[in-house]
Amino acid sequence: MTMLPKSPPGAKKLGLVIDLDTCVGCHACAVSCKEWNTKGEAGLLPDYDKYGAEPDGVWFNRIHSYESGAGDGCRTVNLPRSCLHCEDALCVTVCPTGASYKRAEDGIVLVDADKCIGCKLCSWACPYGAREFDEDAGVMRKCTLCIDRIYDKDLPQAEREPACVATCPSRARHFGDLADPQSKVSQLVKKRGGVDLLGELGYRPTNKYLPPRKATIPTAPREAPTGAASGIGGALLKLLDRALSR
Amino acid sequence: MRPAASVLLLTTLTGFGYGLLAWLGACAALGLLPAGRWLAVGGTALALLFATFGLVASTLHLGRKERAWRAFTQWRSSWLSREGVASVLTYPIAIAFAAAVYRDGGGIAVRLLGALAAAAALVTVFCTSMIYASLKPIRQWHNAHTAPDYLIYAVFSGAVLLALLETAMLGTPGAAARAAALAAAVAWAAKRAYWRHIDAQSPLATLASAIGLPKGTEVKPLDAPHFTENYVLREMGFTIARRHAVKLRRIALLVGFAAPLVLSLLASFSRLPLAATAAALVCAAVGLLTERWLFFAEATHVSALYYGRRI
Repeated sequence: MTMLPKSPPGAKKLGLVIDLDTCVGCHACAVSCKEWNTKGEAGLLPDYDKYGAEPDGVWFNRIHSYESGAGDGCRTVNLPRSCLHCEDALCVTVCPTGASYKRAEDGIVLVDADKCIGCKLCSWACPYGAREFDEDAGVMRKCTLCIDRIYDKDLPQAEREPACVATCPSRARHFGDLADPQSKVSQLVKKRGGVDLLGELGYRPTNKYLPPRKATIPTAPREAPTGAASGIGGALLKLLDRALSR
Repeated sequence: MRPAASVLLLTTLTGFGYGLLAWLGACAALGLLPAGRWLAVGGTALALLFATFGLVASTLHLGRKERAWRAFTQWRSSWLSREGVASVLTYPIAIAFAAAVYRDGGGIAVRLLGALAAAAALVTVFCTSMIYASLKPIRQWHNAHTAPDYLIYAVFSGAVLLALLETAMLGTPGAAARAAALAAAVAWAAKRAYWRHIDAQSPLATLASAIGLPKGTEVKPLDAPHFTENYVLREMGFTIARRHAVKLRRIALLVGFAAPLVLSLLASFSRLPLAATAAALVCAAVGLLTERWLFFAEATHVSALYYGRRI
């Protein structure tokens, strides 16, 4: 059913909180995601032209690096981009088959690979570019929030979190229930002023991003670029340079 | 957006088919059908043929064609599903209309079924247009022009097809050629207005808001996640050089609308009516395919922002 579900009272809103201040852009989450999901319940995550000139494949998580600001305020911002499990998920309502759906109990957006006809309309409806087409299976694929990990009772409690969160070496990724104002993730969003990506489009994403903070440790002033050496030493160096360049 | 052959054929061919059916049905409802039953019967068959080709073409790009039947299930939320349902419902209505014309030639049943067939045809075209108009990340589609434009192009292409059909079957295009000329003028104006609109639009979002930074923050891409194209870039990052777009727009206007306008007028003054209406059809088809190709190629998707593309 591609109507958006009416969540029962007390329903969870599972999602990620990603800290843009501490993300170092190492791509470990993307690799870990690929590794887990390529052997997960949904089957292989395809790769095309693996060892060729134009390698390509399906990834649920892509890491971009940007430069923001200018001058002294200039900094690198790394942005891990994956499905944000939106509350107003247009990818779900446009689906003609019911393959694309949002779970009422926890808000996770999934694709039923057995129903998907591969029309790709859902990927057009997603402003985040979070859905990628599986050319091998002919169906759409997307982040599952590692639904096969987070509910796996065979795993120790501490490991019941998405692979990307478990692997992040800088602890920039957090997983939890964003419907519960007392949860660790909700508290983080409150404390750090978590934001929506592309909030103006009105998809109401569940995942939140914590903006980069202003540096509190003063950075040393940059050294002035050293010009040509002067004096007798400079003359000698010039001579040496000329002799060696011959 | 990548202009895939399957959707270009779907939208143009169904436009011709449902446009023709809408004209036949509307004329029958108003009692304006020329005497003789074969125009309506043959025309309905031709309309359904065009629509069927278009609908079959649309399944070509599906990853799992054998499951296409599932697309009829989610009509409560999905315009694509509604299009499927409406297109299938149009068949029995159109066939009943043609059967009524064949049996009675006129009368209340013909009028009623004609109105119903015209409505079903236009509703199907409207559903198709809403597939595009409902996509919020694409400013060139998600606007007030898309739905009326699709209806206008369908009515125009249907009129051109009807003019040829009338000339071929009855020897003279009758009022259909004048209708086609008028529709061509309206279509020309609609396309011009659409292009003016999308050229004046501002982007839906900025790179800063896409990555959650405050409005106005200066952001530039440093490293992309991958070196080669991926699905998102191939499908949503399609770009077209400005100078090519300008040229193609001119071709679409001249070949798609101006030429059929002139040719239809020629036919209405009984100047080589068969050749003129046939040429008008060919021109309209080429022009509409060009126009439809541009509709996709010029459409930008918000997700391309992440890769530093302009949207």
